[in-house]
Amino acid sequence: MKQQSKFSAEQNSETEHQAQSQQQREFASPEELLRFDAAQTSVPSAVAERLQRSTETISPPPNPSWWRRFFGGTNS
Amino acid sequence: MPERETADEAGNGLEPSAFADLYTEHSRPVYYLALRLLGDPEKAQDATHDVFLKAFRKMDQFRGEASWRTWIYRIAINHCRNLQLSWHGRHVFSNADEMVWENAAAQTDSPLRVLETKELGLRIQKTLDGLSDEYRLLLLLVADQELSYEQIAALTEQSSDSVRGKLHRARKAFAVLFEKTA
Repeated sequence: MKQQSKFSAEQNSETEHQAQSQQQREFASPEELLRFDAAQTSVPSAVAERLQRSTETISPPPNPSWWRRFFGGTNS
Repeated sequence: MPERETADEAGNGLEPSAFADLYTEHSRPVYYLALRLLGDPEKAQDATHDVFLKAFRKMDQFRGEASWRTWIYRIAINHCRNLQLSWHGRHVFSNADEMVWENAAAQTDSPLRVLETKELGLRIQKTLDGLSDEYRLLLLLVADQELSYEQIAALTEQSSDSVRGKLHRARKAFAVLFEKTA
């Protein structure tokens, strides 16, 4: 409770801009917290650009024949 | 950058293809998993690139026995694990340390309250770094709502019941450590 009051007091003393950027959130579980964190995490665009360059040097994998897909097995 | 002849509908920089669709749909969870397992954005970028490159090479071997998500997660988990083994430096809690979490104070059952700041990611990383590899991985996988307990069990090579039991302890351990990072 003291800590919660401390958080509230901090917000009251901040400027309006800072208060908006420091919003107290509550998460019911660690995975909920991780989901929030994940939602705020973007993949740097450099990864896709680098991947594009990397895959250009590799022959695309052959599409497996329909009967191999049906019965299983890999292309030799 | 040379102009592409075909439209990059996905907007991710990859030419339209089944692989580009795979990347669009799964790159964020894979990157996040790598980021929180490895603890470093640059290493996570490298790992994400390497994981999808492996996926590109192996796409023809995918037989549809698992979902695309679990298939690519398996590649990512193995890749990150191999990287960590090669570093030899991580501190891992032994099973004996689990008693610490079992005896943790009752306040760990309370909701996690955080002040939303840009340091939240650092707190989360510090907390995850304090957990065992197994607990860390289980929490990251269960955070992905597309994965069922059965899929998590298959990825971690154990039963669903074992996953449930360990997750209970992992959540407790996370809460205890997270409070300490405040």
